[in-house]
Amino acid sequence: MHPLRQVKGEYVKGMLAKGIREEGRGIFNYRPIKITHSLLPNAEGSAQVEIGNTKVLVGIKLDVATPMPDKPDEGNLMSMAELLPLASPEYESGPPSPDSIELARVVDRGIRAAGVIDLKSLFIEEGKVWSLFIDIYVLNYDGNLFDACTLAAMAALSNTRMPGYEDGKVVREGNLAKLKVNNVVTSCTFAKVGDKMVLDPNGGEEAIMDGRLTIANDENVIRAMQKGLPGSFTEKELEHLIDMSFEKSKELRDIIVNSKSD
Amino acid sequence: MGSSANKPELIVNGKRLDGRAFGELRPLKIVAGGLKNAAGSAYLEWGNNKVIAGVYGPKEALPKHTQDPEKAVVKCKYSMAPFSSLEEHNRSGPNRRAIEISKVTREVFEKVILLEDFPGSEIDIYIEVLQSDGGTRAAGITCAAVALAMSGIPMTDLPYATSVGKVGDHMILDLNKIEDNYSDADMPVAIGPRNGEILLLQMDGTLTKQDIKEGMDLIRKAGETISRLQREALRAPYERISNKYKN
Amino acid sequence: MSRIVVPGELLAEKPLRIENAIIEDDKTYSSVLGVYHEDKTSLIPLEGLWYPRRDDIVIGIVEDARLNSYSVDLNSPYKGIIIAKFVETRLQRGDVVECEVKEIDETKTVVLMRPKVLEGGKVMDIKPSKIPRVIGKANTMIQQIQDGTKSTVMVGMNGRVWARGGNVALATEIILMIGEEAHTKGLTERVKTFLASKKGV
Repeated sequence: MHPLRQVKGEYVKGMLAKGIREEGRGIFNYRPIKITHSLLPNAEGSAQVEIGNTKVLVGIKLDVATPMPDKPDEGNLMSMAELLPLASPEYESGPPSPDSIELARVVDRGIRAAGVIDLKSLFIEEGKVWSLFIDIYVLNYDGNLFDACTLAAMAALSNTRMPGYEDGKVVREGNLAKLKVNNVVTSCTFAKVGDKMVLDPNGGEEAIMDGRLTIANDENVIRAMQKGLPGSFTEKELEHLIDMSFEKSKELRDIIVNSKSD
Repeated sequence: MGSSANKPELIVNGKRLDGRAFGELRPLKIVAGGLKNAAGSAYLEWGNNKVIAGVYGPKEALPKHTQDPEKAVVKCKYSMAPFSSLEEHNRSGPNRRAIEISKVTREVFEKVILLEDFPGSEIDIYIEVLQSDGGTRAAGITCAAVALAMSGIPMTDLPYATSVGKVGDHMILDLNKIEDNYSDADMPVAIGPRNGEILLLQMDGTLTKQDIKEGMDLIRKAGETISRLQREALRAPYERISNKYKN
Repeated sequence: MSRIVVPGELLAEKPLRIENAIIEDDKTYSSVLGVYHEDKTSLIPLEGLWYPRRDDIVIGIVEDARLNSYSVDLNSPYKGIIIAKFVETRLQRGDVVECEVKEIDETKTVVLMRPKVLEGGKVMDIKPSKIPRVIGKANTMIQQIQDGTKSTVMVGMNGRVWARGGNVALATEIILMIGEEAHTKGLTERVKTFLASKKGV
C-alpha cells in the first residue's frame, strides 16, 4: 500500500474506533445520492448515479442474437463493468480486472435473481432473440461501487426503450415501447473495520476495511449477497445487516421511483 | 467513405440534412471539471457527441524504462463506450482505430505541454466517448485541452480541433456521422490558436488544393467560436464562486 | 485590473519577465489557467503544481527507509530525499515529516533537511496553488483556523496539510472551502464568520 494511503487509513481507523466517520456521517447513512436518467439518447437506456463523489454511468444496448441452445425461448442478459483509468489513480487500462468482473457479476445476479427483466419477453422469433447489454462505466471512484452500479443499472433499465425488429432490420428510432421492468432490486453494501460496521463506505474507508458485505433485496426478499475481502462476519452481524438492508433499501427504492424522468 | 450504391442526399436545397449551413458548427457545450479524482477533467457535448476527458499527473513515469530524464512523457488513451453509437453494441477495448487516434491526439499535446518542466514524469490523458455522432477525435482533443488546463499543467497553447469534408462541390464544416460516412472526403484538423499552427492533420477521400484552402478557412473561422467556448468553460467555475461574493 | 487567462492567451505585446508566462516573438503569453494582474504584472495560477524552491517548507511521507537515505513522497512529480547522516533519529516508512527544501539537484530530486515527525493526525492533499491562501498574509488565516478549531494544523508548500487534535473535521471543511474559493476576495472574513457560526456545535 502506498504510504499516503496508509497514513490516511490509520486516521480513518482511529476515528471509526470511536464510532465517528470522517465526514461526520452516521454509520448507517448514505451519502447524498443523485440519479440522472436518459442522458445518452444513442443508447436504448442510460442513467448516471452519484453517491457522494462516486460517479457511475450505465448504458443499455439491445441487439438481435441467437438464443443459447439450452434456452431457445429466452433472450440474453449480459453485464460488464469498466473501471475506467480516469476514475482513479489506481485504475489501469487493460483487460478486465478481477474487481471489475466481480462488480459486474454481483450487479447482474441481483437483477437476474429479482426477475427484473423477464428474459422470455426478449424472444423475437424462432432462432432470434434480443441480447440485452448492461455496460457499467465507473467515472469517478470514491467507494461503494456495488450500490451505485446496481442503482444505475436499475434506473437505466427503467428508462430503456425496446427497439423494433421489422423485415430483418433493427429499428431504434421513432415511437418505441418501454422495456417491461417487473421488479425493483437495490443493494446495500457494508464495510467492516475492526469490529465496527458502516453502510456505504467511501474510498478512504474501503482502503482500510477488513471485510465487505453486499446485500441485494427487493421489497420482500433477499436476492443476492456477496462477501468480499478476508474479514469475517458473525451470524449475529449478518442478521443485523440484513435488517439494515431491508430498512435502507426503502430509501433507495424511493429515490429510484421519484427520480423517474418520463 | 461509404459505398455510393445507397448514398443518401447530404445536401437538400442548399442545406445539410440537420439544417445547417455549409460552414456551420453543431451546438457545442463545454464544462470544465467534474471528476474529483483527476488532476483535471472536462465534459463536452458537441452535436450528439458526448465526451469526457480526465488528466492524471505529472507523476513518476512507470515502468521506469518509459522515463525520459529530460522531460515528461505523455500517455493518451481514447476509447469509445460500448453503448456510444446509435447502431449495435460495440465490444469494449482498444481497436486499431482507437490506437491510432490515441497516438495522433498524444502528439497534439506533446507539442503544447511544457514537458521539460517535469523530467522523469508522465502525464496521462484519458478520453472516453460516451456517445458518438461523427467527429469524436476532434471533440476529444477539444475536451482534453480544457482538462489539461484545469490540471494546472503548463502549456504554450490551448488547442482545438474540428473537421471539414466535401459533399459534391461543397466544403462542409464539422461532419456528423452520416456526413462522415458518405462524404467524398473527410479532414480532421487540430490548431493551436495562439499562432495558428496545425497540430493534427488527417485526410482521406478526394480534395483539391483549393478545397483544402477553403476547408482550412472554415476551420479557422469556427475555431474562434470553439476557442471562445473553451476559455469560457475554464473561467466559469471561478467566476461562479467570485460572483457569489460580489457586492 | 485583474482577469482570468488561459494557456496561450496574450498578456502583453512586449516581452515581460513573468512567472508562468512564455515569451515568443517579443510577445508575452500565459502558459497556465490563472489570474493576471496587469498593474502588478503577476500571473497567479488558479490550478497548479508545486515547483520546489530552496527553503520551502513541505510535508512528506517516508516511502522507503534505506541505510544512507530516505525517499520521501511529496505529492508531486519530484522525488524527495533525506540524507540519513543529517538526521539524529531513524525515520520509518509511513512517517509523516515536515521538512525544509535544502536544494534541488540536477535530476530535479528535492533534497530535504531538518525533518520533524508529525505523529498521528490527518493528512490531506489540496492543490498547491491554494496553499498561500490557507496560510494567509502573515499567517493570519492559518492562525484563525487553529484558534477556531483548536486543531494543530501544519501546511506544506507541496499542497499537503496535516491536522491533529481539536475539531479536525471542521478544520478539514474550512481548508477544502479555502481550496474552492482561494481566488475570491474577503475570504478571511468569510472564514471568520463561518467559524463563529460553528461555535459550540
